[in-house]
Amino acid sequence: MFLYLTRRLAMTVPTLLLVAVVVFVLMRLVPGDPAQLILGDAADAAQLDQLRRKLGLDQPIPTQFWRWLVQLLSGDFGTSITNNLPVLPLIWERFQVSGGIVIVAIAGACAVAVPAGLVAAWKQNRPLDVFIVTAATVMLSVPSFWLGLLLLLLFGLQLGWLPVVGYVSVSTDLGRGITYLILPIVTLLLIEIGVLTRMARASAVEVLRLEYVTHARAKGASESRVLARHVLPNAFAPTLTLVGIALGNQLGGIAVLETVFTLPGLGRLLVDSMFSRDYPVVQGVLLFTALIFVLVNLVVDLCYPLLDPRVAAQ
Amino acid sequence: MTFRKLLAAAAAVLVLLGTAHSQTVTVSLNADIRSVNPGVNRDDNTDTVVLHIVEGLVALREDGSVGPLLAERIDVSKDGLTYTFPLRKGVKFHNGATLTAQDVIWSWQRYMDPKTDWRCVAEFDGRNGLKVEAVTAPNAQTVVMRLNKPTALFLDALARTDCAMAGVVHKDSLNPDGSFRTPIGTGPFKLQEWKRGEYVHLARFADYASPPGKTIDGYTGSKRPLVEAVRFMVVPDAAATAAALATGALDIAQMSDKEFPELLRMPGVTVKPVGTATKNVILFQTRDPLMGREKIRQAVAHAINMKELVPALTNGLAKPNASAIHMGSPYYSQVQRQGYRYDPALARRLLQEAGYRGEPVKLVTNKRAGRPSFDIAVIAQQMLQAVGMNVQVEVLEWATQLDRYNKGNYQFMVFSYSARLDPALSYEQFAGVKDKQPRKVWEDPQALALIERASAVSDTKERGRIFDELHQRFLQQVPMVMLYNNADVDATSARIRDYVPWVASKPRLWEVKVSK
Repeated sequence: MFLYLTRRLAMTVPTLLLVAVVVFVLMRLVPGDPAQLILGDAADAAQLDQLRRKLGLDQPIPTQFWRWLVQLLSGDFGTSITNNLPVLPLIWERFQVSGGIVIVAIAGACAVAVPAGLVAAWKQNRPLDVFIVTAATVMLSVPSFWLGLLLLLLFGLQLGWLPVVGYVSVSTDLGRGITYLILPIVTLLLIEIGVLTRMARASAVEVLRLEYVTHARAKGASESRVLARHVLPNAFAPTLTLVGIALGNQLGGIAVLETVFTLPGLGRLLVDSMFSRDYPVVQGVLLFTALIFVLVNLVVDLCYPLLDPRVAAQ
Repeated sequence: MTFRKLLAAAAAVLVLLGTAHSQTVTVSLNADIRSVNPGVNRDDNTDTVVLHIVEGLVALREDGSVGPLLAERIDVSKDGLTYTFPLRKGVKFHNGATLTAQDVIWSWQRYMDPKTDWRCVAEFDGRNGLKVEAVTAPNAQTVVMRLNKPTALFLDALARTDCAMAGVVHKDSLNPDGSFRTPIGTGPFKLQEWKRGEYVHLARFADYASPPGKTIDGYTGSKRPLVEAVRFMVVPDAAATAAALATGALDIAQMSDKEFPELLRMPGVTVKPVGTATKNVILFQTRDPLMGREKIRQAVAHAINMKELVPALTNGLAKPNASAIHMGSPYYSQVQRQGYRYDPALARRLLQEAGYRGEPVKLVTNKRAGRPSFDIAVIAQQMLQAVGMNVQVEVLEWATQLDRYNKGNYQFMVFSYSARLDPALSYEQFAGVKDKQPRKVWEDPQALALIERASAVSDTKERGRIFDELHQRFLQQVPMVMLYNNADVDATSARIRDYVPWVASKPRLWEVKVSK
């Protein structure tokens, strides 16, 4: 296990290096000049040149890359072009907002989706199954921003139960902070329930067909024991993989929800930085997200042996 | 007894908190500000906030002219080279220090230091022609600036909002190492907290000395801070902003004309449309083989039905304006009202005379939120196709379009110019020599000479005559088709009193009251 872990962690280095090169090159290929965006339509050539020099953008691309890479290797993600703040603390601050929402939403979605998928598979083609599948399909089909706005209008505007704009950190004020997180978490949770329920049902249906399940029933095991002891551990693995992918995806894809709910999260930081061509921040966020992706998938892989001892033996 | 006292104290605290909260006016910003260092790293949102904190010697009035702000008055020598600014008495900084001429000089020298990176240093150091040769203080209450040449635009340059009005800050605004710490200005509000990505909180400056005047007047006039605090909240989404206005979570928001019908239906929300000086235009690349032909450009101008396009895009809030001068300007004369007659038959004839044979032409636009660019392009395309032009709309992301604009790499494009209240500055945005600045649109030497002359002359009648002549040349040569000036829609919640929107498109929170 230790060797496996060491090998996997060692593999993150070339992965992240590749991500660094790809991100850097792609950002430089995209048209647009950060200096122009900062100075606006009235800037003259002299002002643009001066700002480019200040930002180091007048240097040849390989020089810019080398400088950034050397900084990166010393743990320095650079400084934001737009607001002069160090990038890594900015990313970490924003990640706490996004990460909190994503983790809680997906954990909650799992808690609902896995039992729902199991029940749907157990009652396959019966009314309950049809209902669960239909509900899951509707949930995963609804665009997140539309659902978010709907919930905002209902609970914020019509009922006045929850705040409509703004954000208070839970570390500043736990009670108020939670009120600002309820709607974004519920929105994401509903969509992920749809996705995970379909996967949980599909893999449970496969497992229910296997001989050892029939054997367990023939031995006299109750349906609940069959589902919990025999079906769930074997059916959950694909869903677990999807959870890992969803965690990584949502960290970047949550930008839309962050815009709707005015949350200062990582997704919005990435989108705003893309539009303003804030190279250090875009590069930093993408590298950070790649690292999170790799780590999350490592944790998912390490969880497999808990479900399937054969994987541990391999 | 003790419990009752505690309960009473708690109730009193809650009441006080409630009172304090209700005295905070919440205003929306569609994006976070860039910095609090005046005129250094900024955009419109940044200027909106910073100009509540700092003030310059002069500022823009409501009608776009320039008036004294920290100065009591402006005395100009007969040769136009020396500007004397006696300072208003009793003006204090947010740290309690009294404003003196030395503070103004220190602040000016800091702006002119290249290390400060002030946006507008090139306007005053001679690179763009004008140079402030000396700034002196004959006494503690007077500042004198001497220029290298007379110009009508010196005060306008000083008052520019994107230059933060060359706002005077106290030395304590800097750290011991010279880096910027916080803006300690003389404005009606002082900076209390900036939570990045979330809000900027300003507190009322109790010792603020307002300029004379009975009413608000641009950035001059009466500027009393009548509320305890102002909170600028970052709310990027228009739908969320509208919902927040309806619930009272926001007190003031600037929305686009698209939201006007929905805002009108909101109970308790007051809607105030206001014309701005932002220009929505179609630019031409006059060095393009096709768009370089004047008759083709004239055909485009006559093919677009402004009376249909503008009301459709703005919910009837804006009017067509073919002039580079905004409609609220004192220079907006009868001549400036002249535009292009909608005449598709004439457009077809002009295309024929120009030798246009149906070649495809690309109209570049973008889909930035809150901007009409894409809608303008789609409608214009329809109108141009109706007269036989093979127009293809090319939608680019804003940064990419700005890049193409700066390089002059387009045939024609839909564009928006930020507001410039003085007509000479407005023309300067798009007129210039393309060899030096490829982004410039109009390089007619006589037009450039007229703009130069308008910049030098102070007499308003003479300037008016020059601008009228410029407009007529502009209409004839069609370097761009000016469509309309944006209309902003400022919406306020039921408890806000005396909020006045204005042409510069920046909310002003002085003289604003909150109902009890």
